Amino acid sequence: MSDQTGISRRTVIGAGAAALATVAVADLLDISTVFAKTGPTAGVGYFSRFGVTEKLIRDTLSAALSKGGDYADVFFQHRVTNNLMLEDGIVNRASSNVGLGVGVRVVKGDQTGYGFTEDITADGLRRAALTAAVIAEGPAKTAPARFKVMDSKPNRYPVKIKWEDIRPQQKLTLLTGLNDKTFKANQFVRKVNVNFMDQGSVILVADSTGRIVEDAQPMTTLYLGVVAEKDGRRENNNVNRAARQDIGYYTPQRLDRMVTDVVDKTMVLFDAEQPPAGEMPVVMAAGAAGILLHEAIGHGMEADFNRKNVSIYSDKLGKPVAKPFVSIVDEGTQDNARGAINVDDEGNAVGRTMLVENGTLTSYLHDSISAKHYGVKPTGNGRRQGYEFAPMPRMRSTYMLPGPHKRDEIVASVKRGIYCDLFSNGQVNIGAGDFTFYVKNGYMIEDGKITKPIKDVNIIGNGPKVLEQIDMVADDLKIDEGGWTCGKDGQFVPVSQGIPTVRVSAITVGGRAEKKG
Amino acid sequence: MAKTTSNDHDMLAIAQSCIAMAKSAGAGDASARAYRVRDVSLDYRDGKVEKISESTTRGVGIQLYVDGRFSTVSTSDLRPDALKAFIADAVALGKAITPDPFRALPDPELYKGQSSVDLQLEDPKYPDVSAEEGRKVAKVMHDAARAVKGSEAILSVTSSFSSNLVENWMVASNGFSGANRSTAFFLSTGVSAKDSDGRRPEEYDYAGSRFWNALVDPAKIGASGAQRTIARLGSKKGETMAMTVIVDNRAGGRLAGMLSGPLSAGALQQKRSFLEGKIGQQIVSPLVSITDDPLIPKAFGSRKFDGEGIAAQPRAVIEDGVLKSYYVDTYYGRKLKVAPTSGSTSNLSWKLGSKSQKELLADAKEALFITGFIGGNSNSGTGDFSVGVVGFRVRNGEIAEPLAEMNLSGNHLEFWKKLIAVGNDPFPYSSLRTPTLVFENVSVAGT
Repeated sequence: MSDQTGISRRTVIGAGAAALATVAVADLLDISTVFAKTGPTAGVGYFSRFGVTEKLIRDTLSAALSKGGDYADVFFQHRVTNNLMLEDGIVNRASSNVGLGVGVRVVKGDQTGYGFTEDITADGLRRAALTAAVIAEGPAKTAPARFKVMDSKPNRYPVKIKWEDIRPQQKLTLLTGLNDKTFKANQFVRKVNVNFMDQGSVILVADSTGRIVEDAQPMTTLYLGVVAEKDGRRENNNVNRAARQDIGYYTPQRLDRMVTDVVDKTMVLFDAEQPPAGEMPVVMAAGAAGILLHEAIGHGMEADFNRKNVSIYSDKLGKPVAKPFVSIVDEGTQDNARGAINVDDEGNAVGRTMLVENGTLTSYLHDSISAKHYGVKPTGNGRRQGYEFAPMPRMRSTYMLPGPHKRDEIVASVKRGIYCDLFSNGQVNIGAGDFTFYVKNGYMIEDGKITKPIKDVNIIGNGPKVLEQIDMVADDLKIDEGGWTCGKDGQFVPVSQGIPTVRVSAITVGGRAEKKG
Repeated sequence: MAKTTSNDHDMLAIAQSCIAMAKSAGAGDASARAYRVRDVSLDYRDGKVEKISESTTRGVGIQLYVDGRFSTVSTSDLRPDALKAFIADAVALGKAITPDPFRALPDPELYKGQSSVDLQLEDPKYPDVSAEEGRKVAKVMHDAARAVKGSEAILSVTSSFSSNLVENWMVASNGFSGANRSTAFFLSTGVSAKDSDGRRPEEYDYAGSRFWNALVDPAKIGASGAQRTIARLGSKKGETMAMTVIVDNRAGGRLAGMLSGPLSAGALQQKRSFLEGKIGQQIVSPLVSITDDPLIPKAFGSRKFDGEGIAAQPRAVIEDGVLKSYYVDTYYGRKLKVAPTSGSTSNLSWKLGSKSQKELLADAKEALFITGFIGGNSNSGTGDFSVGVVGFRVRNGEIAEPLAEMNLSGNHLEFWKKLIAVGNDPFPYSSLRTPTLVFENVSVAGT
C-alpha cells in the first residue's frame, strides 16, 4: 500500500478551487438511468477492430457462468504507452509498449474467480472464462441476450489531438526545451533528466446484467530531475506533473513553473538540515500533503478491508472521527485530473463519495462486491491496473474540503514544529492504522515563523489519532497535479490528492537529533 | 512465421522473427526477449476460497539500434501483422531521436563462458500442483493459524498459495541466443487481530521455494503468521533514543536494497550516487562481505546470463567493508569507460557470523528488535535515509513489549559502520538473503 512513484509539489494556478465547482454530479450514481441505449452492435465500438462482437462477449459470459455464480464481467483493454527520455542533453531513448488483452471475472457472494488472456479469439476467451468459472459450483446461468450501452457517460478528459497523432518532433522539443531552461536557471545545475510519457488506454466492460461501456482514457506524465553541485557537495531533487489530457496540458507557464520548482527545491537542500526527532506539531502545506489523507484514512476506508473486518475503521461508520470542520472526499470527476475516470473498471458510474462529513465517518469506498455485502450502491471505486487483474476498491482523487482557518494563522500558531512541502511516497498498515509519508523538502517553524529548511525525513503516525489531531484547516485547498501512483495488492493505479494547509497537533518526526528539545 | 491463434506460440521463433523484422525495417542491430508466464494464485479466507486466479501471459520486448539511436518496444499483441507494423513504426520513431554513440549491444565476448553448474530452477512436478492442491494447503495454514494460543483475538485469517512457471527466450543480432525456465511456489498466511485499544494489528509469515516438496510445513507457516500477529497486540510507541538495533533477517532486505541503486553505474554516471569514487575504500563495517552470486542452486536470483545476455559470474561487491565493484551494464560502462559487470543484482551472498538470532538478542541485552519497515525512502545521491519501523523492545536479552509508530533515520555511510554483528541465518525466501544484523548506538524517533 505505498505510493511508489509520486513525486510532486503543490501546483499551478487554481487547480483546487476552480476544479471543485464541477464535482457534484449526483445523478450519475443512479445506474438505471445511465444505461439506456440498446442495439445489437452499439456496445462494441473501438474493439470491433480486434474482432470483438456482442456475440463473442455473450459467448464468453455464457462460459463464465457455466458453473453458476452471481455475476460475471469481461474487461477488454488496449493500451499504448510511449516514453521519451532525455539524459546528458539529448533525447537518447524512446520506448513503446502495447498491451492488449481481456480479463474475465466470475463473482459468487464475496468470492472471485479470475482469468485473463492476450489471445483475443473465441477459443482464448472461452479458456479464460472457464478458468474464472471454477469459483462457482452450481447449474449454469444464461448470459444476457442483448446489451445496453451507457449513453450519458460524462467526458471528463476531452482531447483535441490524440497522442498517436502528435509528431515525435513536437514531444522532443518539449524535452529539450525543459533541459535548456533548467540549465539556464541556475549555474550549479550539473545533470538534468527528463522523462515524458503519454498513454492511450481504451477499455470495454460488459457484464452479465447486460451493461456494456467503452471508455478512452488518456494519460500523460512529465518528470524533471536535477542534480546540482556546489562547493564540492551534491544535492538532487525532482518534480513531476500528470493529467488525463493532450499535449495542450504542457503550457509554457506550466513548464516554466516546473523548472522554477525543481531548481528552487534542489538549491534549498544545500542549506537544509535534518529536523530533530520525536513528536511535534506538523503543518502540512496545501496540495501534495493530501498524501496524509490517502494514507491516514483513504486506504482504511476501502470497503474490502472493512468487509473483511481488518481495517482500523471497520467499526467507526457514523461515528465522530475528527473535528467538525474536517470533511474528506474521494471523487473521480475533476476534469483532466490524473485520478479522474468517466466510468470505473466494473462499468459503474463515478461520482463523489464523502469519507468524512463535518467530522463524522460517512461512507466507505465500494466496488460491486462490497456494495452488495453492505447493501449500498457501488461508489464507482472498482478499479484495476489493467486486464491482468480483478478490480477492487481503490481511491480516485482524495482531498479535504476547505476549513475555517488561514494559512498564516496556522503557521503563526506553532511554537516549534515543522512545515512539510514536497513529498515522495507514503505507506500504511490498514489494521494497526500506522502510516508514514516521506518529506523531501520542508522547513522548521520556530516561534510562529518559517525558518531553516529541512530534508529527507519520514513522518509516522496512526490514522485515527492523527485525524483527531488535525486541529486547524485553512481555506486554501489545492489539488496536486503530481503523478501519484497508488499500489495495493500488487496493482498500481493513478490517483490524485489534495488538501488545504492543515495543522496536526502532534506526530512523530523521524529526524536524527537524539533528544528532543 | 508463428501461429497466433492459441497459447502454443513458438516463442523462440517469435523472438527470432522480431530481429528479422527489425533488420528489414532498417535497424542495424537488435535484441529480443520473448516470455511466457503461467501464474496461479488462490486466497483462502476464514473458511472459504476468497479468490482464485489463473493466467498465462506472453509477450515480446525488443531493443532496436537504428543509425546510432536506441529505442525499446514491447507488446503482448503477437498477431504477425500487428507485430510487423509495430516494429516498423518503432524503427521509424527511433530515427526521430538523437544518436547516442554509447548505445550498443554487449561485446559478444561477454556472452561466452556461461557456467555449466546445474542451477535447479525448475520443479518437474510443477504441472501436478494444481489450484486445488493449493486450496488444500491454504486450508491447512488457515486451520493452524486458528488453533494457536491466543487465537480468540483473531479477526481474520487469509492464507494464500501461488505458483508460477516463467519461460524466457532471448536472441541478439550479434550472436546471442539463450533460454531459461524456472518455477516458484509461495505460501503465506496473513492474520489480523483485535487489540483492546481498537487497533487491528496484522502480521504474516510466508515461505517460498522453487520446488513444491521443499516447502516448509504449511501448518508452521499458518501458526507462525498468527503468533506474529498476536505478539503485536498492545504495541505502543517507544521513547526517542539512541540504542542497539537488531534487524530481523526477513526485514533486512529493505536496508540492503537501499544500497543497490547507488551501486549502479547509471547512478554513478548521473552523479546520483553517494558511492561514487569509493572503490577500494572502507564504506561499511569490516564485518560486511557481500558477493553477488548468480550461481547458487535453487535460489530466487540465480541465472546463467543477465538481462543483456552477459554470462553470469560470482563477483565480490563488498569485502571486509571495502567497496570492490559496481553494477555496470553495457551502456553506462561505455559512458564511464569501465568494463561491464552486470547491470542488475542476482543473489547477495553474505559472509555469515557464527551466532543465531536468539544468541544475538541475548548478547545485546537491551535493544530494539526491528521486524518490519513501513514507508520511508533513501536518497541515493547523499545516502540519507529515513524509514518507519515496527518491532519489539529487547530486555535482558529476551523479546519484550511490542513497539510501533517509530522511525529510523541516518546516513548509510555512518549507519553501516555501526554494524557490530552478523547472524548465521540468511533469509532464504528473497534473493537479497540478508542475515540478522546488529547495529549499535542508532537513533530511533518515537515519543
